[in-house]
Amino acid sequence: MVARHGLLGAAVLAAGALYLIGGFQLSAEAGYSGVGPNFLPLLVGVMLALCGVWLVWEAASGGFRNMEEPSGAERGDWAGFAWVSVGILANAALITTIGFILSCTLCFVLASRGFKWAEGVRGVGVRAIAMDALIGFAISAPVYWMFTQLLSIGLPGLTSTGWL
Amino acid sequence: MDTLNQLLQGFMTAGTPVNLLWALLGCIIGTAVGVLPGIGPATAVAMLLPITLKVEPTASMIFFAGIYYGAMYGGSTTSILLNTPGESGSMVTAMEGNKMAKSGRAGAALATAAIGSFVAGTIATVIVTFCSPIVANYAVKLGPPEYFMLMLLAFTTVSAVLGQSTLRGLTALAIGLAMGVVGIDQISGMARFTGGVPELMDGIEVVLIAVGLFAVGEALYNVLYEGKTVDTQNKMSRVHMSRSDWKRSWPAWIRATFIGVPFGTIPAGGSEIPTFLSYAAEKKLSSHKEEFGTTGAIEGVAGPEAANNAAITATLMPLLTLGIPTSNTTAILLGAFQNYGIQPGPQLFDTNGPLVWALIASLYIGNVMLLVLNLPLVGLWVKLLKVPKAPLYAGILIFATVGVYGMRQSAFDLVLLYAIGLLGVAMRRFDFPTAPVVVGMILGPLAEAQMRNALSIGEGHWTIFLQRPVSLFLLIVVVAVLVLPRIVRWLKPQHEPDAVVRV
Repeated sequence: MVARHGLLGAAVLAAGALYLIGGFQLSAEAGYSGVGPNFLPLLVGVMLALCGVWLVWEAASGGFRNMEEPSGAERGDWAGFAWVSVGILANAALITTIGFILSCTLCFVLASRGFKWAEGVRGVGVRAIAMDALIGFAISAPVYWMFTQLLSIGLPGLTSTGWL
Repeated sequence: MDTLNQLLQGFMTAGTPVNLLWALLGCIIGTAVGVLPGIGPATAVAMLLPITLKVEPTASMIFFAGIYYGAMYGGSTTSILLNTPGESGSMVTAMEGNKMAKSGRAGAALATAAIGSFVAGTIATVIVTFCSPIVANYAVKLGPPEYFMLMLLAFTTVSAVLGQSTLRGLTALAIGLAMGVVGIDQISGMARFTGGVPELMDGIEVVLIAVGLFAVGEALYNVLYEGKTVDTQNKMSRVHMSRSDWKRSWPAWIRATFIGVPFGTIPAGGSEIPTFLSYAAEKKLSSHKEEFGTTGAIEGVAGPEAANNAAITATLMPLLTLGIPTSNTTAILLGAFQNYGIQPGPQLFDTNGPLVWALIASLYIGNVMLLVLNLPLVGLWVKLLKVPKAPLYAGILIFATVGVYGMRQSAFDLVLLYAIGLLGVAMRRFDFPTAPVVVGMILGPLAEAQMRNALSIGEGHWTIFLQRPVSLFLLIVVVAVLVLPRIVRWLKPQHEPDAVVRV
C-alpha cells in the first residue's frame, strides 16, 4: 500500500461522493431532452467515484502505474513552502485594505524569503529584505499603473488616486 | 481567390501600426515566457486575459496569438541552453540540442531551431489559411449530435491518449468537468454547486484554474521540491549555420512540418507526439547516425522544433472552425473569445470574418517578427536565464494576482487560487496531466449544452447519436482511440515497450 497514493485516491472518491450527493439534490426537470441539469453532475460524480476507487486499488496493489519519476528532492521543504503560502494568503487578506501595490510587495518579500530558504539561505538581513521590498515594488507599481491608468481596469489601492 | 482577398483584407487590418505593435508586444512577451522557466504560454495568456475587458477583440487576439507563437520560439532557447526543458513540446529538442550545446554548437542549434520554427510556422499558416474556410464550410452542416461527438473525441484524446496513464488522465478530466459544472446551468438557469457563495454563481474563471495550476502550482512545487536543484547552463556560441548544417536541416524542417500539421488539426492535443515522431524519423533517415546522443545531431533539433511549431499553428484550425480547443493554450484562447461574447465555430468566418482574417494575417507577420527577435537578438534572451529563482517566482506570483484579481475584483478568488495551486502541486508530484483539467473545464459546459440539444432533437432518445452517420462515425473513432492502443500493446511482444515514446 502506497499511503500517499491511497490518500489521493480517497480524496478523488470523496469528491465523487460530494458530486453525487449534490447531484441528487438538483432538479431533474428534463424538458424535451429527457436529461436535466442534474445529469452532468451525476455523471461527473460517478466518474470521480470510479476513478477514486480505481486509484485506491492501484495504491493498494503497489502504487500508481507507469509513474514518471517526479523531479526534484525526495522530501519537501515545508518551511519554505509555508513562507510562500503565507505570502499568497496575506495578499488575499490584505489586498482590499492596503491596496494592490503594498499587498503585492509584501507577498513578494515573503515568497522570496521562502525561495531563498528552500535554496539553503538561512540568515535574514535587513538589507536583503529592503532589497526584496524594492524589487517587489518595482514590479507591482508599474503593473498597477498600467492597469489603472492605461487600461482603466480597477485594482484596489490604498488611496483612490490610482497611483498607490 | 476569395480566400486571398479576405487574407489581403486581414493584412490591412493586422498591418495598422496599433495592431503591429500589439503583435510585436505579444511576440516579445511570448519569447520571454518561453525562455523563462516556470511560466508558459497558457499561463501568460491566462494572466493577461483581463485586458479583454478593455482592449478590442482584434488587437487582443493578435496579441495572444503572438504570445502563443513566441513561447514556442523561446522554449527552444531554454531547452538548448539549460539542462531542463521548458515546455513539454521542447523535450525532444532538449535531447539533441543539449548535446550540441555541450560540444560547442549551441549557436547552430539555436539557429536551426529558430529558422525551422519559421519555415514550419509559415507553411502551417498557409495550410490553415486555405483549409480553414473549407473545414468551416463543411462544419456548418454539423448539428448538436456531431458537435457533442467531436467534443467527446477531444476529451478522449486529451485525457486517455496523452500521458502515462489513462486512469490519471480520466481523473484529471473528471476534475476539470467538475469545475466546469459549478455556476449557473446554461439551459435551465439553475445554480449548481455554488454552496451559496455568490462569487461562484458565474462559475469558476478559467484564468483562476490556469494560473492556479500552472503559475502558483509551479511556484509552490518549486519551493517545496526544487530549492536545491541547480540548473547548469551551456556555453553560448556564435549563431551561425554552416553550409552542411543548412543541407542537413532543411529536409528535416519540411518533413517535420508535414508530420506536425495533421497532429495539430485532429483533436489529439499537444505537440508531444509529432515531435517524438519527427525525432524518430530523422534518426532513422540521417546519414550521421553516430552523432545522435553523442555530439548532437542537427537534424534532431531541426525536425522536432519544426514539428512543434507546425502542430501548434495547426491547433488553431479546430479552434477557429469548430470551436474545439485541443491544448491548454487554445482552451484559454477560447476563453478569451468567450469573454467577448464570440463563440468560435463554423459561423465565425461569417460573423467575425475580419477578426479571423486579421488574426491569420498576424500569424504571418508574427513569424517574421519572431525570426528577427530570436536570431540576431538571441543574446538578450539568454540573459533572462540568469534571473535568480527567488525573484523570478515571487514576481510570477504578483502577475498571477493581477490576472486573477483583475478579472473579477474578488479577494475570494485569490484564496481559491491558492487552493488550485495546491491541487497543481499534487498533480505534478503524482504525474497527473493538467491539460484535461483545463480542456474539461472549458469544453465541459459546451459539450453538455450540445448533448442536451442533441437529445432534444432526438426527443429524449440516445439513439440519435447512432442514427446520424457522421455522429456514428465519430463515435466509432472515439471507441477506436480508446481501444486500439490497448490491442496493439497486447499484441506486441513484451520486450519492446513503446518504441516511439522512449526513443
